[in-house]
Amino acid sequence: MKYLDKTITEIHELLKSKKIKPIDLVEEAYENIEKSDLNAYITLNKEEAIKKAKELENVEVDDNLLFGLPIAVKDNICTKGLLTTCASHMLDNFLPIYNATVVDKINAANMIIIGKTNMDEFAMGSSSRTSYFGAPHNPWNTDKISGGSSGGSASTIAARDVLFALGSDTGGSIRQPASYTGIVGMKPTYGRVSRYGLIAFASSLDQIGPMTKNVYENALLLNVISGHDKMDLTSIKEQDEDYTRLIGKNIKGMKIAIPNFFVSDIVDNEIINKIKKTAKTLEKMGAKVDYIDMKYLNHAVTLYQIIAMGEASSNLARFDGIRYGHSKENPKDIRDLYFGTRAEGFGKEVKRRIMVGSYLLSGKNAREYFYKALSIRDDMKQEFTNVFKKYDYIIGPTTTTTAYLLTDPMDDPRKSFMDDVLVIPVNMAGLPGLNMPIGFDKDHMPIGMQIIANSCEEAKIYQLASALEKELNLDLNPWGGKKDE
Amino acid sequence: MSNYIATIGVEVHVELKTKTKIFSNSKNGYGQMANSLTNVIDLGYPGTLPTLNEEVLNLAIKAATVLNCKIRPEIHFDRKNYFYPDNPKNYQITQFATPIGYDGYVEIEVDGEKKKVYIEEMHIEEDTCKSTHRGVKTLLDFNRAGVPLIEIVTKPCMTNSKEAKAYLEKLKELLFYSDISDCKMEEGSMRADANVSIRKKESDPFGTKAEIKNIGSISNVGVSIEKEIERQAKIYDKGETFKPQTRRYDDKLGDTVLMRVKETGNDYRYFPEPDIPFVIVTDERIKNVKKTIPMLPDERREKYLSLGVSEINTTKLIQNRNLSDYFNHLLEEKISHQTASNLLLGDISAYLNKTEKDITDTTLSKERFIELVNLVSNSTLTSKNLKEILEIILESKDSIQSIMKSQGIENITDDKEIREVIQKIISENPESVEDYKNGHDRAIKYLMGQVMKETKGKANPKMANDILKEELQ
Repeated sequence: MKYLDKTITEIHELLKSKKIKPIDLVEEAYENIEKSDLNAYITLNKEEAIKKAKELENVEVDDNLLFGLPIAVKDNICTKGLLTTCASHMLDNFLPIYNATVVDKINAANMIIIGKTNMDEFAMGSSSRTSYFGAPHNPWNTDKISGGSSGGSASTIAARDVLFALGSDTGGSIRQPASYTGIVGMKPTYGRVSRYGLIAFASSLDQIGPMTKNVYENALLLNVISGHDKMDLTSIKEQDEDYTRLIGKNIKGMKIAIPNFFVSDIVDNEIINKIKKTAKTLEKMGAKVDYIDMKYLNHAVTLYQIIAMGEASSNLARFDGIRYGHSKENPKDIRDLYFGTRAEGFGKEVKRRIMVGSYLLSGKNAREYFYKALSIRDDMKQEFTNVFKKYDYIIGPTTTTTAYLLTDPMDDPRKSFMDDVLVIPVNMAGLPGLNMPIGFDKDHMPIGMQIIANSCEEAKIYQLASALEKELNLDLNPWGGKKDE
Repeated sequence: MSNYIATIGVEVHVELKTKTKIFSNSKNGYGQMANSLTNVIDLGYPGTLPTLNEEVLNLAIKAATVLNCKIRPEIHFDRKNYFYPDNPKNYQITQFATPIGYDGYVEIEVDGEKKKVYIEEMHIEEDTCKSTHRGVKTLLDFNRAGVPLIEIVTKPCMTNSKEAKAYLEKLKELLFYSDISDCKMEEGSMRADANVSIRKKESDPFGTKAEIKNIGSISNVGVSIEKEIERQAKIYDKGETFKPQTRRYDDKLGDTVLMRVKETGNDYRYFPEPDIPFVIVTDERIKNVKKTIPMLPDERREKYLSLGVSEINTTKLIQNRNLSDYFNHLLEEKISHQTASNLLLGDISAYLNKTEKDITDTTLSKERFIELVNLVSNSTLTSKNLKEILEIILESKDSIQSIMKSQGIENITDDKEIREVIQKIISENPESVEDYKNGHDRAIKYLMGQVMKETKGKANPKMANDILKEELQ
């Protein structure tokens, strides 16, 4: 019997009535991970997880539904005493002496960290293939990518190894892999979840978020990890709220916009058709759907490249071999230490982004590109604000294609950004956005839809997502019961 | 070299006297064990983020105020990107686009002439760590990393080393007096760079600039500017030119030494710090900070002089902040302020130095000090007697008069008693009386001596003097 296939409430009841113990869940999670064999993890936390599970046997099970449940954490989130590599040779020996704020929150909720998930190196990529440790596989077709950069987290959730995972989303890195693997991934409003302890890629865009197999569990995990943190000055000072509170309410009268750009010829027909069909379903459920024109959406990728790479070039400067991480052996002088450490420690894509970012901030380029991008970004935010004056939601496909082959060429650096063309605008505007599965393509690969709402309206997103989830009632188990045979 | 006009600008870094660092809660301290005042934020560990110490903002507002700067209502921080081992994140968080203070001035006086030194801008930034070179190795002490700094940049408005020195003295005095910084150049809490160029005529464009970095004392700033002007003049006199460069002052050589030639402008790839949101500096906040600014040296000087304190005592008092603060409590009192300053700077200072105490550590309350000043002013307590009982005065809480009594220092203040003694002395010394009447002033001193001898020093000298003169008429 697999406990982790049950609903969260069922598992909680079993734990509460002492029919099972946290250790049963932990052991099952490790069995699942081994069976799935998706290269979803960089480091497993077996010893500590078992220890924690046993400790929890002496703790009374409270009303917290997440008590004793295993969780996977993306490997760019610092975990005290547990390797945090960012999927890079630069940090493959890095043992943090501090926890990210989200990790403290997970621990406080008595959840059990099962391991650190695979990802693109320093979250730079869209297929997790820039990982120093090799790419994770998509459980729907193990020859295919699970997306990126939170590919490992997406993969392990889709495979039903564990119920909960954390990802991070700078330009779609939660929603895009969630779409490729048929799971629910939320990028909360910028500032909802503390970034303290998240190894920065692009500070003004990075946001940690929950990845789960369904909407309700997603909202539950956001309840745990969100909240104001005085260690992060960009953390927003909103009152704590229950993100599940609107789940179950109907969506009658809700106004939904689909930007024409989101269903233009950059998107595969099969996906456009699925979105249009879903729009019809939503109308049947009582919502009103309009196709609208939105300015700036087509510029989002360009703006993203400038801002994200500019910030990244500075954020990654600290990896110099002096205080932590990889360090060139026997350097001749300080210059040799810098050059050697960074040449050896960083992979190709990371180096490319640091170089481009440095160039964009250099001399008069800063005015011509970086500062201009910052100002257009404000215009883009304003455009979203205007749309949300008339609409409750913006929806559209999460990706332009479904997951492609791991062996597809990686030689076009722009391709990776184009994978994220539909998800990036949300990061630029700092808004919450969620991916949910809405069906499959002809090869039975998942198709995802993203739901965007105004700042701090995560609960409202969950309301729409859960209503649609219930209506669609998809079978989202990639193993189709075959795995246990 | 006198036929050149020098143009001098000064940049000063000042460490702020805060309890904790600017972007973390590590202690801000000097002289502690290496790397004992650091945490993962100061060390630039991955994933860590800066917080903003509000105390820094308040001190910066204070500094901007005492430097007569305009204060920008909305500020942000920028990243200055460069690789150096003393720079933990390989970027320094500073202010590039929106310095908190701008367009200020400091008034100096050189050779009796007043002049304004204009402040271009004043911004907040973090200090780097301290590197010590030992042979082929470099040791890093991160205690200083993240210590809050303000950098104050003047316009190129000074023309000689005297002005630069006067500016630095004044700056130091202002920042020290307003509790912004210790301003100890020897400990590095105040560091100065000087930019020097020379040209023939006012109408000529500015000459090539040399920057002299990190000069360790105010007097060395003076020497290095003079040496640099001399060096540049020699080059121009030969018809040669030089490239913009960075130099340092070598204390042993007593001269500036080339560090590096500036080939191209530095490219620090500045951009707004995304980890710290914009800060709104409200008028309310500025108002509250202004309330915390104590009376500044110039105002003190003016007040003291107007109360009849001598020029020299005024200067000495202002040099001793604690005594000056103590003295400020007495400004409204009807006492002899000159006597009060004499007492503070004389016997009391000697006692404080000997015992390594602060004036506020003694028992000398305002009321008792006023009593003391009055007793000395009207000569009830002579300086000789004061010396005998000063320790008791500063260590007990009894009134000065009761201390005098218990120590057997008693003045004969009875008019009649003194007059009798004086009449006796006059009758016994007819020659001296004659000398006095012939205009020999020395005679009265002799007679006074006799009176004091007769009364064993207990006669109130002022009273005795007055009566003596009366009796001699």
